[in-house]
Amino acid sequence: MKTKAREDNIRKRNKIEEKYSWDRMNDAEGERKSHRIRALIASLIVLSIFFVYVLKLYEVQVSDFEYYATKSESNRIRVRPIQALRGNIFDRNGVIIAKNVSTFDLIIKREKISNHQDFLEDVDNFFSDGRIDSKDIKDQLRNRKLKEITLIDDISLEEYSLISVDKHLLPEIELRSKAKREYLYPVSTSHILGYLGKVSDSDIYSDVVKVQEGMTEIGKLGIERFYQNILSGQPGFEKLETDALGEIIRTVETKEPKRGDDIFLTIDIKLQEYVYNLMRNKEGSVVIMNPKNGDILTLVSAPGYDINLFTKSISSKNYNQLLNDVRKPMINRALNGQYPPGSTLKPFIGLIALEEGIINSDKFVSCSGEYILNNHKRPFKCWKKDGHGAADLSYALTQSCDVFFYRISELTGIDTISEKLYKYGFGQKTYIDLYNESTGLVPDRNWKYKIKQQSWYPGETLNVGIGQGYFLATPLQLTLATASLATAGKTFIPHLLLKYRDSKTGNLTEYKYNENEFLTSYENLDFLDIVHHAMWRVTNERGVGTAAQLKKINNIEIAGKTGTAQVYSLDAGKSDIKKLQDHALFISYAPFEEPEIVVTVIVEHGGGGSSTAAPIARDAIEFYMNSKKEVISKSE
Amino acid sequence: MSEFIRDDRNHYGGLSSLLRIDAKIFISIILVTILGLLTIYSSSSGDISLVIKQLTRIIIGIITMIFIAQVHPDNLRLFAPFLYFFTFILLVIVLFFGVGNTADRWLDLYFIRFQPSELMKIFVPLMVAWYYSNKPLPPKLSYIFIASLIVVVPVLMIMKQPDLGTALLIGMSGAIAILLAGISLKFFFGSSISILLLAPVLWMNMHDYQKQRVLTFFDPESDPMGAGYHLLQSKIALGSGGFFGKGFFNGTQSKLGFVPEHSTDFIFSAFGEEFGFLGVLLLMSLYLFIALRGLSISVRATDNFGRILSGTLSLTLFLYVIVNVGMVIGFLPVVGAPLPFMSYGGTSMVTLFATVGIIMSVKSHQRILRK
Repeated sequence: MKTKAREDNIRKRNKIEEKYSWDRMNDAEGERKSHRIRALIASLIVLSIFFVYVLKLYEVQVSDFEYYATKSESNRIRVRPIQALRGNIFDRNGVIIAKNVSTFDLIIKREKISNHQDFLEDVDNFFSDGRIDSKDIKDQLRNRKLKEITLIDDISLEEYSLISVDKHLLPEIELRSKAKREYLYPVSTSHILGYLGKVSDSDIYSDVVKVQEGMTEIGKLGIERFYQNILSGQPGFEKLETDALGEIIRTVETKEPKRGDDIFLTIDIKLQEYVYNLMRNKEGSVVIMNPKNGDILTLVSAPGYDINLFTKSISSKNYNQLLNDVRKPMINRALNGQYPPGSTLKPFIGLIALEEGIINSDKFVSCSGEYILNNHKRPFKCWKKDGHGAADLSYALTQSCDVFFYRISELTGIDTISEKLYKYGFGQKTYIDLYNESTGLVPDRNWKYKIKQQSWYPGETLNVGIGQGYFLATPLQLTLATASLATAGKTFIPHLLLKYRDSKTGNLTEYKYNENEFLTSYENLDFLDIVHHAMWRVTNERGVGTAAQLKKINNIEIAGKTGTAQVYSLDAGKSDIKKLQDHALFISYAPFEEPEIVVTVIVEHGGGGSSTAAPIARDAIEFYMNSKKEVISKSE
Repeated sequence: MSEFIRDDRNHYGGLSSLLRIDAKIFISIILVTILGLLTIYSSSSGDISLVIKQLTRIIIGIITMIFIAQVHPDNLRLFAPFLYFFTFILLVIVLFFGVGNTADRWLDLYFIRFQPSELMKIFVPLMVAWYYSNKPLPPKLSYIFIASLIVVVPVLMIMKQPDLGTALLIGMSGAIAILLAGISLKFFFGSSISILLLAPVLWMNMHDYQKQRVLTFFDPESDPMGAGYHLLQSKIALGSGGFFGKGFFNGTQSKLGFVPEHSTDFIFSAFGEEFGFLGVLLLMSLYLFIALRGLSISVRATDNFGRILSGTLSLTLFLYVIVNVGMVIGFLPVVGAPLPFMSYGGTSMVTLFATVGIIMSVKSHQRILRK
């Protein structure tokens, strides 16, 4: 019993022990071993995962380092261009005529706009005076590339202070300062200077201007265009570190922009202004050039237009108004106005006839007021109905006798005339430092056949002989041709650049005169003397010269030639009375003995050359001589 | 019974023995926390207050660790079911009263806010170890089934919160515990395949943002500004560190905000950016050392409870590293899982130190067989 009870007890205890024992010895060794193997396998798995991870980390951090480093860099670095300040433009005496002023744009950063519709409404409410073009702002919003929306261009600080009173209604607005081009003589110099505009695709593909990284504005016309690469300078940049939201943390690197070089023009701004004021209410052009070096002192095309309008990104309304203006202010008449030169061509026709041996100084032609050409029904009329009687070349030039030139051009023939006229620069560009110059037109048989599929009529030769008909010249070409008379053939390419000054070193680079000199050959200087003398007589021989009524200028004499070009045939059918009037022309150089300036005046529909054009030239010459005297007296 | 004596401290000597902590693991962890503090300081652009906060947590963690290391594993075993079920109830409460921004993970006890799911990271392995502690090993099929229930039920609840990352981590640590207890390979592969078959069901129950994360995992660069952004930017940070790193305080990716969560889940990228491959190698080696050292402790443990518990917890620690780093280098999908002892955050820091405390307790309370 006892044993049984004891055995039961032991069994019970064993059961309990088996169930609750923390230290069961049954197979403890086996379990330990089993765990050791499992732990070993686990360690191997851990180790292999470790190596796989380290290999992958090596790949990411060491093998692909370049790739991720570049990505990291482009993540945080934004490059922002800094516009270079454009070079100033001065006249020949150092008077500033184009400069930069700082203004402000009213902008809003794109990231501050959450909802376009709400934003547009806010803007409309804020600027209730209608100075905001909401369509333009919509366009800007649509252009995802724009980081800033420009609300108003070129706002002054005073204007801003008025706006900022209500700033709490549109707290996101900011001012951004910028440089703006300002022209000090915006109308009179409009056709010389041109204007700036936003860089366009055509600029990028243009051969004549270099568009640099970060450039936003570029010269579109005039000197601003031609010397863009000198004036523009070199834009700089800022490398900015930004965070993930695009906020600027700091500036990593700055490359300062190189300011554009200053340009000095050959223009004398006082003379330019004076002459422009003479022409203000007329349409036409005045070119004044120094024949001895090709310096253009004045280049007026009237009417001008306000180029400052263009720096303020001109509104389409203003632009269309300019384009549709009947006076056509946007046309540069000095370069692109192609006129029949009328009698101002006669000195050249006369010289050609002399050189060809058609006439000599003693050759007389009898003028009865008209000239009959064989096989031609209608006689060719002289401007003087009664005729000039017997006239030699000098007298014919002085009196501008048409019959004399009908005769000699008939004798010379169109082939010789057109060939020789090229010598004076007609029919080709002068290569002045402005783009888009017109060539004028020297007609010949080939030209006429090509254009009109007609043969040349002899009567047309006569018309060319008096500067009418198909022949066309620009004021600049006339100026250059006159210069070759004044300097006996030694001429220079007309140019507006005098020198430019490096913004960094201050070194001046002068215009290279020696590279731009060319010669017009005159076989016999005696022939030239005849023409010179005749042109002197035009302005000085009272009662004979067509412009001898001009008031004399102290101490100096002018040589010139008047011209009156008939235009009714060109504008036939138009009812505008003014348009039927002749163009008035005058070419001249002064002083007669030692020419310093050549002056060409063309007044469209101005009537007679002697009554309208010549007085303008005379006043310009007087102004020039007086201001020269002032300079001399000042320097003394 | 008489063959065993309780090894009370004097066997090893020294301070670490006095405190019942393992000096090697402890020093490794301290090194990791220092690297973490440096990274937090740098990627917050020198915000010392974050460092102080984190340092406080580390100190609390160390105290917790030392405290737990004193608790005899037998006592842990005694309390295991109670701790497990208590936390289980907390999980139920979270499901109904939880707070949080995107997911209801937090329990607000007014004086402290914490995630009960974090506690489960310890208590699930503890419970599995408890369950196996008095069963003959290798376990019978029915034991495995019950152990699986111990794991799966809380995992499903955490998934429901929803916190897919933690749920997966706990599920995997439970699986490690079961595996470590002993399981035939045949059964292991069989259950793996059935889990794969269950994947579509899991997919159907996932939230949209979770699906999106899984999808971008397969092709992160397809959507660089969208869901793949985290991944791509963290990889850029890591890769741009190069071999030597950009240098302390010179990281740009994390400091400028391109790497999101640069102090928490993506701290590894921020660290790799500044300290380079060399730093990353050091950090990974420290983790490796901790895991292997923990496994060696488990091998030396004298009972199944200690073995399973310390082995599982050591492997779980390494699992966290694998999951976090795997996410950064694009091996694994983006799940919210902190990097042990590095990531900024309170609950995980304390629970991780507690985990280590348990391992140390197992080590320092070994029963030595008297010769």
